Amino acid sequence: MIGIRIHGRGGQGAVTASRLLADASFRDGKFSQAIPMYGTERRGAPLVAYVRIDDVRVRERELVHEPDVVIVLDPLLSKEQSVASGLKKGGLLILNSKLPPEKVEIAGDIKIATVDATKIALETLKRPITNTAILGAFSKSVGYPTMESIEKSIRKQFPGRVGEMNIAAIHRSYEEVTPVVQATHTEPVVEESDIAVGGYGVLKDVSSWRVFTPIIDLDKCTGCRSCWLFCPETAIQWKDDRPEIEYHKCKGCGICVEECPVKCIAFERVVV
Amino acid sequence: MVGNKATATAVKLARVQVASAFPVTPQTTITEYLSDMVANGELDAEFVNVEGELSSHVVVQAASRVGARTFVCTSGPGQLYMHHPMHQTSDNRLPVVMATVHRGNKGMMPDHTDLMSQLWTGWMQFYVEHNQEALDTCLMSYKIAEDERVRLPIAFGYDGYVLSYTAEPVEIPDQKDVDDWLPPYKAMPSILPDEVLPENLGGRWDRSDPQKRWQEHHEAIVNAKDVIVEVNESYGKKFGRSYGNGLTEEYRTEGAEAVLVAMGSLTGTARAAIDRLRDDGLNVGLVKLRCFLPFPKEDFQEIGKKVGAIGMIDRNVCLGHGGAAYTQIRNAIYDLEERPSVLEFIAGMGGKEVRVDDIYKIGKKTLKAAKSGGVSTSTEWV
Repeated sequence: MIGIRIHGRGGQGAVTASRLLADASFRDGKFSQAIPMYGTERRGAPLVAYVRIDDVRVRERELVHEPDVVIVLDPLLSKEQSVASGLKKGGLLILNSKLPPEKVEIAGDIKIATVDATKIALETLKRPITNTAILGAFSKSVGYPTMESIEKSIRKQFPGRVGEMNIAAIHRSYEEVTPVVQATHTEPVVEESDIAVGGYGVLKDVSSWRVFTPIIDLDKCTGCRSCWLFCPETAIQWKDDRPEIEYHKCKGCGICVEECPVKCIAFERVVV
Repeated sequence: MVGNKATATAVKLARVQVASAFPVTPQTTITEYLSDMVANGELDAEFVNVEGELSSHVVVQAASRVGARTFVCTSGPGQLYMHHPMHQTSDNRLPVVMATVHRGNKGMMPDHTDLMSQLWTGWMQFYVEHNQEALDTCLMSYKIAEDERVRLPIAFGYDGYVLSYTAEPVEIPDQKDVDDWLPPYKAMPSILPDEVLPENLGGRWDRSDPQKRWQEHHEAIVNAKDVIVEVNESYGKKFGRSYGNGLTEEYRTEGAEAVLVAMGSLTGTARAAIDRLRDDGLNVGLVKLRCFLPFPKEDFQEIGKKVGAIGMIDRNVCLGHGGAAYTQIRNAIYDLEERPSVLEFIAGMGGKEVRVDDIYKIGKKTLKAAKSGGVSTSTEWV
């Protein structure tokens, strides 16, 4: 039996990824189980999902505490969570990151493969939903499920055009994932927050939730207060008749960008 | 397939005619699946949207009374809000089937207190282990509830989140086979309105003996055991899957010196723990308590004769009283000349994770009690 833990954020499709993996494995003749962890998540909040794949029916219901593979859907999560926690010796970490695995600052007797799933998702799906974009990388690095089965599972989950876009994403990640290498970093992981933490009230700082950051061009701003009015997190303060973003409160939802009547708020991708 | 989808699929296969439910986490997606099935023509039924559980229950109660096959589902606080009409449904002997997707009464996460709070409503109760069993139990429930020897409503419960949202392989029976095995519901004449309600809602009962309806109701539940066993067997013959004798299921109990008893999704984790105990040469078996109401007293008397100790793992607690199943098991074995010890463990309350290791330790403790004798009366919170 292998156990998998998937780290993602609300909206990135970690739960869907877990189901697709379980479904595709079942198509390959395995038994599987996909366990989501639901709480008070919302878009952007860190969350986890688990998968078990076995040759016999999976009976136990506990969470996967010592995974063989960890998938990280969001590049910033590995900065604030100990994503390698509990990972078995010699286990595999598949990280959504621009960096080559040698440069990933996660230590331990583990192997690492990276793929820039955010870029793939933006180019194929036009939005940073990285769940399918990382499955191709999983299939390549782990050796299963087969791409044919993942395709079938995706077509069932997303019929029509959306499915085809997602299939393009898995093929890109299958091609673009780096080879699996032994972790070279030597500093131990700093436990910054609990793996299954959720909720803005606890975290106080949600800056790392952002895939895009709003930046206001104050020269163009007319002071209409639309952004201030619509911001769901009260992250925009009003100072000297001009808006000011308190970035630790901003999840990067983009509502201010959408609402600004003079389009003076840019939305720039956070590069990690 | 997730547990809620398995249940909705069973409702479709059973060709339910009227369903009503108010969405409450973690039951919500059943209502969504059913609404979709009705909207796209897969299921020829009325799905009645309501403003609360009280109404949803009254809708299915009325529909069942006029001869429709009905389904209702809920969770946690919704179950409590539905309590009042549940009494009347069972009193009128209406074969309504209900899915309870367990959610505890102290928060969102699952334990069995929602359905256990309905023990006195006169409904039969099943607790299921996995998604396949949710589908199978739903179909079996209609067969049992509508049997003219029974004619009582059934609630089957499965743990919210742990099963409701966990995806795992589920085999879906052919519609043809289900139609063959479960013919359309024919309302008995006596539960049609004219018969039931001649005297202002209470009609058919002999008012000179107000206690008689309680006695009849109680006996009907106790006597339903035979039908449950029968239906479980015929389901097994038709579809190739059955669950022990329908009431309890034994797992690796051969030569066991002690057994653990578990209900619902904890049973799966307990199986893994039993495998580990057996691998380590410890003779501990497992009994799944599937049908809680009627309580399979005789089964536990048989088990009690064979083992030195029984460790009950309750995912419920009647506050100030103890685990509901533990109390019943002790009651059942009291009639034996030589009684085994019965230990009480409370686990998984408020959705607390129960690990294979936890149950392994429970197994060791129970085995120790079997060897040393003596009865522990203290409750252990795992």
